[in-house]
Amino acid sequence: MDREAAGAPELRPARAPQDFHFYPMDLYDPEDRLHLFPEEHLQTGREVQAEMTGEPKGAAPRDLEEDVEELVHLYALGDGSEWDAELVDGSSPHLEVWEQRPRMAGAHRDWSLGAEAEAGDRGCAGWGAPAPSRDLREAYRYSHGRASEEYECYVIPEEEDEDEAALVFCVTCKAPVRALEVSDEHREHEVTPLSKALESAKDEIHKNMFKLEKQIIEMENFANHLEEVFITVEENFGRQEQNFESHYNEILETLSQKYEEKIQALGEKKKAKLETLYGQLVSCGENLDTCKELMENIEEMCHEEKVDFIKDAVAMADRLGKFLNTETDVEISAQPDFEDQTLDFSDVEQLMGSINTIPAPSAPVINPQTPNSATGSSVRVCWSLYSDDTVESYQLSYRPMQDSLPGKDPEEFTMTVKETYCSVTNLMPNTQYEFWVTAQNRTGPSPASECVVYMTAPSPPIIKSKEIQSCEEAALICWESGNLNPVDSYTVELTQAETPEPSGVTESVVGIPTCESLVQLHPRQSYTVYVRALNMGGPSARSDPVTIYTTGSCFHLNEHTCHPWLTISEDGLTVVRSERKTLAKEPLPSNTRFTRCVAVMGNLIPIRGRHYWEVEVDERVDYTVGVAFEDVPKQDDLGANCLSWCMRHRFASSRHKYEFLHNKMTPDIRITVSPRKIGILLDYENSKLSFFNADISQHLYTFSCQFYCFVHPCFSLEKPGCLKIHNGIAMPKHVAFY
Amino acid sequence: MALKQISSNKCFGGLQKVFEHDSVELNCKMKFAIYLPPKAETEKCPALYWLSGLTCTEQNFISKSGFHQAASEHGLVVIAPDTSPRGCNIKGEDDSWDFGTGAGFYVDATEDPWKTNYRMYSYVTEELPQLVNANFPVDPQRMSIFGHSMGGHGALICALKNPGKYKSVSAFAPICNPVLCAWGKKAFGGYLGTDQSKWKAYDATHLVKSYPGSQLDILIDQGKDDQFLSDGQLLPDNFIAACTEKKVPVVFRLQEGYDHSYYFIATFITDHIRHHAKYLNA
Repeated sequence: MDREAAGAPELRPARAPQDFHFYPMDLYDPEDRLHLFPEEHLQTGREVQAEMTGEPKGAAPRDLEEDVEELVHLYALGDGSEWDAELVDGSSPHLEVWEQRPRMAGAHRDWSLGAEAEAGDRGCAGWGAPAPSRDLREAYRYSHGRASEEYECYVIPEEEDEDEAALVFCVTCKAPVRALEVSDEHREHEVTPLSKALESAKDEIHKNMFKLEKQIIEMENFANHLEEVFITVEENFGRQEQNFESHYNEILETLSQKYEEKIQALGEKKKAKLETLYGQLVSCGENLDTCKELMENIEEMCHEEKVDFIKDAVAMADRLGKFLNTETDVEISAQPDFEDQTLDFSDVEQLMGSINTIPAPSAPVINPQTPNSATGSSVRVCWSLYSDDTVESYQLSYRPMQDSLPGKDPEEFTMTVKETYCSVTNLMPNTQYEFWVTAQNRTGPSPASECVVYMTAPSPPIIKSKEIQSCEEAALICWESGNLNPVDSYTVELTQAETPEPSGVTESVVGIPTCESLVQLHPRQSYTVYVRALNMGGPSARSDPVTIYTTGSCFHLNEHTCHPWLTISEDGLTVVRSERKTLAKEPLPSNTRFTRCVAVMGNLIPIRGRHYWEVEVDERVDYTVGVAFEDVPKQDDLGANCLSWCMRHRFASSRHKYEFLHNKMTPDIRITVSPRKIGILLDYENSKLSFFNADISQHLYTFSCQFYCFVHPCFSLEKPGCLKIHNGIAMPKHVAFY
Repeated sequence: MALKQISSNKCFGGLQKVFEHDSVELNCKMKFAIYLPPKAETEKCPALYWLSGLTCTEQNFISKSGFHQAASEHGLVVIAPDTSPRGCNIKGEDDSWDFGTGAGFYVDATEDPWKTNYRMYSYVTEELPQLVNANFPVDPQRMSIFGHSMGGHGALICALKNPGKYKSVSAFAPICNPVLCAWGKKAFGGYLGTDQSKWKAYDATHLVKSYPGSQLDILIDQGKDDQFLSDGQLLPDNFIAACTEKKVPVVFRLQEGYDHSYYFIATFITDHIRHHAKYLNA
């Protein structure tokens, strides 16, 4: 730092570590330091630092220590005016740093404000949540923005240091030292060139930066996650509130309605009772008046003349008798006390109860099958509910779809699950199942969802290992489907068995429509091959593996072409003609099977490269070996037409005769040593077919042929004996000359 | 042994040269042709010796056989010596075409007046290889030999008399059993004397019978319309029978319609070069 360089060069060693660590200070105590130094506000500085230790950035504790140290040094100098001057004409890199400070400080403040606001809002149990969540987002954006600014700052001091080439770095003191000064106190210390120290310091810094960056990303992810949780919780509570409110209002309404009804009923009853009582009172009064009147009349009568009295008395007696005959009702017609006024709150209670209950869910929506989600015996069924619904469990039902048995309904299965998905197991492979689901809660079940068809993955295919054909560049792999119903396609997986890593890279050939595939391979490797069958449900398990070696060409004898008198061994590589079989009747002509010529054909991979195989022969046996087109006339001898090229051996009267036959023609060639092993090189590239005595690498003959389509190896035995085919052998070097 | 270059012509990327030198074995100036393939510019190549037939010089093979392309491709140095000493002024050496000049028969003569000059066997098996090995970029460990007619006979006896010295041998219409044919009788009688037992040491069919069985792959091409075949000069059947008995591997190809000429040689020269390349470049 140039400030020190100008002010106190003798202090450089002690101050030096700051050169490597000062940038976080620039970051964390931005404007404070500007004020701090001139105003001798040591305490404030400490506060600022203390605040910063609470920051999530983590680098602060180290800086606190250093900053204090720095301050101690600064104040040991004790001259504030020097610093003022220094700041005025400060070097340009510093200016750059200063310029950024307000921005960064602002960001810092916003961040803490945001955090505070958020904390406050949390206290309010999430009311008005959008605001805090926005703050949250902003806070993170700021923190991220700030992180990028940090990096700009990192770069600047490094450039400064390049000027100090005369320095070395004392590792023990962790301080740069003038090369001349090494003699003194650093004599015993480990010293490295400054540039090296700088490098390692830079590395350290970059490592830390990288760590921080990672931490930032993690924190951002975490914040995003929190945000999502926040929103979900908010929504859920909002919904519940609404729910509660509506229920509450309903209950209140019901209650007030009940109140009205009751009040009205009571009023009516009151009125009726009072009216009755009043009527009784009135009639009672009337009676009383009548009685009084009668009394008065009687009294008046008693004061009358006798004649009048008698006269009136009779009338009075009549009237009295009449009056007394009318009963005087003294019973209180209306019950004065209250009847049992029990209020019926059952419906209210039900309403109250239903605040916690919920409506029965609506029918769930069952998802279509996710591709590649099924196995051979299971499918994973998924569905979804309407967001307003509350569901306690689901009833998942299914039945296999069998179009073959229309009369009989297939068995249905049902299971109860809590989740919105279910892995249904123990199913049949490569089969379609119909699924539907109902949701249910305390209140009741939903209607059933639509029916959706899911399909289990197929059974693994079975590779026909005996029919595999291969050469150095490719292999033809055949398999049986392993499934009764058709599947969509097959995948062939290849693992190079001898790769250094045991895991091995797996290469896949996908979308194969038929039960065979010609795959390109690398020469002289060993491959493990698997096949999977695929349908819309997914891939089957791997088939049993087969191993393919791409050394030489490999083929097997084709039994369909085999003359009945010949027997092919178990491994498909030895052909035998036994003595007794020759007496059997000649078979009928055929297009695929040799009928007259006692021959058999091999299945050679249809690849236009070079193929080499060997045939072990008995010197005394009559045989023919060579190649022929697949459609060679099966009644002809090999070499007797233009569709086959052969080497024929005849052994008669202890002489060997060798012919190289094509279209009944042979060159006149004599061979002094009878081959026991014949090497055959089929070279499509150069249109040649060569024969060798494999044991002594002797070239016998080469045909130049036009192979307009693929040929197959063929073998015939004109007399009892056997031929043993050797394939899968590397092409000998000498055959490369032909 | 100073070499004098007589000619040099570029051919299929390499150089066809003719040199002259003073032969110690033959006591005369001898010419030989040597083809250096392009590969010889950078590394040592195998050497393939060609022995010509009656009346030929080193020129016949290099101008008529058309071997250059195959030799260039396989990287073989091909050396073609003359067929006899020249200008030795021996009485009667130029009297007939099948004895003396141009008819050395690749034997070391033991009879006067031939024995001082007519030492073609030693010349082609010892002196010439040493000269070539010393002066040209050839690998002394890898050499083979082939020839035509009398040269075919020469190639066969050189290989059969020196098991392991030549990696391979081949011949066009070789004189397979000179002891029994007119040419052989005349030449061997002249060069070796009347003791026929000494002749057998230069007779391929006899040599096979005592061949110790070191691996040797012999390729022989024979024109079916070769007049010398029907004249009984070549007698390949005897050689084949001997090889069959001794299990010496031979592929003998009787080529329909071909005669004894260089047209026949040119037709199959590539097969022969390849035959040798297979063993020389293995």
